[in-house]
Amino acid sequence: MTHPQSRRDFLRSLGVSAAAMPFVWNLPGLGFAAQQQRKRRLIVMFSPNGVVPDAFWPKDEGDKFTLPTCLEPLAPFQKQTLVLQGVCDKVRGDGDNHMRGMGCLLTGVELFPGNIQGGSDTPAGWSSGISMDQELKNFLQANPATRTRFGSLEFGALVPDRADTWTRMSYSGPNKPVAPIDDPYQMFNKLYGSAKNQEYVRSVLDEVQEDLKKISAAVGAEDRRLLEEHASYVRAMEKELAAEAGMKKEVGHAVPELEPGVREDNDQLPKISKMQIDLLVSGFAADFNRIATLQYTNSVGQPKMRWLGIDEGHHELSHEPDSNKGAVEKLTKINRWYCEQLAYLAKRLRETPEPGGQGSLLDNTLIVWTNELGKGNSHTLDNIPFVLVGGGLDFKMGRNLKYNKTPHNRLLLSLAHGFDHRIKKFGNPDFCGDGPLDKLT
Amino acid sequence: MSDRLLFAPLPLRLGRRIRQTSTSLLIIALAWMLTAGKAQAAETGVQIYTRLCAGCHGGKGEGVANEYAQPLMGDKSILELSALIDKTMPAGEPEKLGPAEANAVATYIHEAFYSPIAQARNKPPRVELARLTVRQYRNVLVDLVGSFRWNNNWNAERGLKAEYFNSRNPNKSKREIERVDPQVKFDFKDASPLKDKIAVEEFCVQWLGAVLAPETGEYEFVVRTENGARLYINTQWANPVVDAGVRSGDDREFRGSIFLIGGRAYPLRLEFFKSKKSNEKTASIELLWKQPKHGLETIPARYLTTAPFPELFICSTPFPPDDRSMGYERGAAISEAWEQATTDAALEAAFYITRKLNELAGTKDDDAKRKDKVRDFCVKFTERAFRRPINDEQRKLYVDKQLAEAKDLESGVVRVVLAVLKSPRFLFREVEGSPQDPYNVASRISFTLWDSMPDKQLMEAAGRDQLKTRQQVTQQAWRMVGDMRTHAKEREFLLQWLKVDQQAEISKDPKQYPGFDEQTVADLRTSLDLFLEDLVRSEASDYRRLLTDDTLYLNGRLGKFYNAPMPTDADFQPVKFEAQARSGVLSHPYILASLAYTGSSSPIHRGVFISRSVLGRSLRPPPEAVAPLAPDLHASLTTRERVLLQTEAEACQSCHSMINALGFSLENFDAVGRLRDKEKGKPVITNGVYVTRTGETIKFQSAEELAKYLVSSDETHTAFVEQLFHYFVKQPVRAHGLDASTRLKQSFAGAGFNIRNLLVEIVAEAAMPAGITPPPAPANKVAVAKLPVTSTGAK
Repeated sequence: MTHPQSRRDFLRSLGVSAAAMPFVWNLPGLGFAAQQQRKRRLIVMFSPNGVVPDAFWPKDEGDKFTLPTCLEPLAPFQKQTLVLQGVCDKVRGDGDNHMRGMGCLLTGVELFPGNIQGGSDTPAGWSSGISMDQELKNFLQANPATRTRFGSLEFGALVPDRADTWTRMSYSGPNKPVAPIDDPYQMFNKLYGSAKNQEYVRSVLDEVQEDLKKISAAVGAEDRRLLEEHASYVRAMEKELAAEAGMKKEVGHAVPELEPGVREDNDQLPKISKMQIDLLVSGFAADFNRIATLQYTNSVGQPKMRWLGIDEGHHELSHEPDSNKGAVEKLTKINRWYCEQLAYLAKRLRETPEPGGQGSLLDNTLIVWTNELGKGNSHTLDNIPFVLVGGGLDFKMGRNLKYNKTPHNRLLLSLAHGFDHRIKKFGNPDFCGDGPLDKLT
Repeated sequence: MSDRLLFAPLPLRLGRRIRQTSTSLLIIALAWMLTAGKAQAAETGVQIYTRLCAGCHGGKGEGVANEYAQPLMGDKSILELSALIDKTMPAGEPEKLGPAEANAVATYIHEAFYSPIAQARNKPPRVELARLTVRQYRNVLVDLVGSFRWNNNWNAERGLKAEYFNSRNPNKSKREIERVDPQVKFDFKDASPLKDKIAVEEFCVQWLGAVLAPETGEYEFVVRTENGARLYINTQWANPVVDAGVRSGDDREFRGSIFLIGGRAYPLRLEFFKSKKSNEKTASIELLWKQPKHGLETIPARYLTTAPFPELFICSTPFPPDDRSMGYERGAAISEAWEQATTDAALEAAFYITRKLNELAGTKDDDAKRKDKVRDFCVKFTERAFRRPINDEQRKLYVDKQLAEAKDLESGVVRVVLAVLKSPRFLFREVEGSPQDPYNVASRISFTLWDSMPDKQLMEAAGRDQLKTRQQVTQQAWRMVGDMRTHAKEREFLLQWLKVDQQAEISKDPKQYPGFDEQTVADLRTSLDLFLEDLVRSEASDYRRLLTDDTLYLNGRLGKFYNAPMPTDADFQPVKFEAQARSGVLSHPYILASLAYTGSSSPIHRGVFISRSVLGRSLRPPPEAVAPLAPDLHASLTTRERVLLQTEAEACQSCHSMINALGFSLENFDAVGRLRDKEKGKPVITNGVYVTRTGETIKFQSAEELAKYLVSSDETHTAFVEQLFHYFVKQPVRAHGLDASTRLKQSFAGAGFNIRNLLVEIVAEAAMPAGITPPPAPANKVAVAKLPVTSTGAK
């Protein structure tokens, strides 16, 4: 009987024997620790619909700059923050700006023609190239020294349950969008499901054994053999599980406790955000992956941030003219809220020591917070927000840099070079002219 | 083609054989010296056997290690056996035994241990404890979870309910057409589906209903469109199996696979939309599938219904395959891999159930009685899984304790489901209660017909103790035998009987058989399916049609290839078009082509099929590794002549005298099953002789004559009855009494060879332990009364 490989793998990962794997993570490599290169990690965090420039961009260039309202939550991390202004998404072609803003953000290449129609531009399909997060995942997974259980994990928060150009920013190749997992429980199962399953199986095996004895006693001698064989396998399974449970204690990795029963609905976004960030950080601590994306809603996303006193949908608000002061204020609050999520992520990373290494996870991780548009009501792809936090790629942090309409493909190249992946072009080669961005290191 | 079946390369075995022969020669020589001089004329069979044969074959034919280790058992008649002994035994010195002595030995060993009857007498088979087979396990999970949902009847209208909208999304107020489409294959070109009512630039269509999976396996669904489409199968309605909502680049064909269990219908919805401004000048859509081991085809109306069906739980955990050493799947052995699979599958089921808990338990999140309803659900789930009511102690163990110890209700349900599905009461068949226990009877009925758990009516009958008499049992069986699940099992039986499930892909030499391509093979498979479906579902369900039906289902394409006078665009229909009659499946081109090489027919494969499947003869693997003679090395020989040359050795002839003659009868059909009367310029010869187990000689001129004999032969009837019994019951028929097979055969013949009737009789035999009601007058009762009928014999 044949089954799709992926499904088989999925079920294997639920399995009991295969479950030993998560428990052997991260044992400090004793003799090797010193020789080991430090781990480098990347997180791309996405929030939609552009920003309010005045409330978002710092005024002064260089290392002495004041954080404007939207970025204030980053105050504790200002020394590890790098703001890049003037980086533009130059990719044109089919699709409206929301679509290209999303589909070309990490791929740096045009969309295929297709049937997805938005705004007033030509319709389009999926991106025609791989995205940088997946490119780096492949690069790291190809090398045994940097290979991890998953390579990359794609987190989402309230991503609508439909696959189209507005809901996907990560691509494993042309026409191959990667769906983020926006259900924290599903993500938990992916990361820790096998451990949890072991607990379940362990909890019932005693009962099964007990009942098995009763049945065996009532069965004829010739047939008892089969039942006894069954019993011995059940006993073996019980022992194996007990041994693995013991091992888990030794390694002592705290599996995050998720608040039960959080539904996927608008008002739960703050909770979902926190749960996903906690899972992301614990996944890094366990070295399940070195690359992660965290996608809040989608391009044109419409969360209603009622917890901030905002009853309108985000995208709807983002279309309001600058003269609508109420809308501008709300949009500022919204982006500030996203920045708070970024700050929480940075805080959790800083609190977590680098296992078997130096410093904290934040010292070895670069977070890139970005957006599909520069500004919501103009739909411009110029001045795409790129706010970087953390010491993962040896960029010189604690600065506000201004570029002159520089294609974002060059920033994507910088990320690759930060991992020592020395490629010359990425996405549309016409936008890679002078290689990685200058002034970063 | 599975050459390995016939020409197993066994060099080691060959070497051992040579050694064995020389040792046995020595022993025989010694034996002869010791006994020389004594009078031999009056010796009985047993004496001769003891003196000349037992040294190598053992006192009771059990075999002797390092001599001739294989036990002496088989199904040759006494005459055949004595001829063989006369010619070949003792090994190397056959001249030692004259015909009379050989006959005495043959008669003795046949009665003492060689024949199947003697084997059965010496070691009476019994009904053994069995676990669920993999097929049963998957079926039971579908029906167990499904028993908490509604269900529908397949006998509704064929095709799909279609709604056409004058809008981009299905907007009820803009619905312009509502009708039934037999299949989805439309090319609207640059026009509207309904002029003036539906705009040509932008519209959508929604097809709704269910699709039937005729057998268990992986189904590939394909949507072809230059527009947008989404196909949902067995989900209501999330996670489309084919998502072509985004068209991107030049993709026009979208695929998705899903594992489905046979004999069940699955909800289907297909959304199709053409959108404005998307540069979509034209519109077209086609819904196709690839059934397991079939070609790609537009899903035909006969597998579609407009009736709604509920989602089913399909367990997709991979399992290790079941033991098939006896010729049928048995739950006779367990392994670590099986334990692991049952654990994984139990987890899979537990998570599915907790995800759907409110629906299955009939409650809601804010239901004040949710806890009680969930507990009720758990109790019912346990009872249905164990196929019997549970007592207080079991309820505490499997339900109350699990719910109490878990930190929340959902975790509790996971534990209940896990404990129940890992329990031997679920995993093993009838481990509790006496053979006569009504719940055990219910299980035997449903597992026999459906390979699944009893349904509600059966459980209720058991609860009222109304499964006591043969009449009550057959009444239930008649009710259940028309169910799609029985049809699916019958179909699966016939396919394995025809060895179709073991065939690799059929391909033919394009030079010799131009036009015989993948499409032809796919069409032929459909043709066979249609014939078998017709047979299985027809009122008469007459077994004899399998071997004698003289029509072929052909469509226009096949008609063209097989020279049937019909329009090239004709749909499948039964056709009779040749001067020489076809003989049911024996001469169905799919079977003929699969039992053939790429460039020539294979009388040996065809003969083995008739010997084994049709006549039920047991054949040993060939004694030596033989490569088939290449046709081009013997360019002047016909296939018949070449096969005779290849199998002329004495060692081959013990089996090939039978195999060849049977296979030659089909020589007037070439490697693609087309009629021929000449090969290499010589007339095709199809006559031959078959010697029955009882020593009767049957002569035939053609396959048609052979088929006429076969369909009236006791051997074929017995073979069919026993194979059907084994496939359906999964226990040896002789465990149900040495005369069970005879009894079934008689009622089969008495009821016009109605297969459905035979199935009901088989259910009665399997479900009714001997002793409850006397079976209808068996001729001579052998001592079988004490045979345990279920594993729970100790009582």
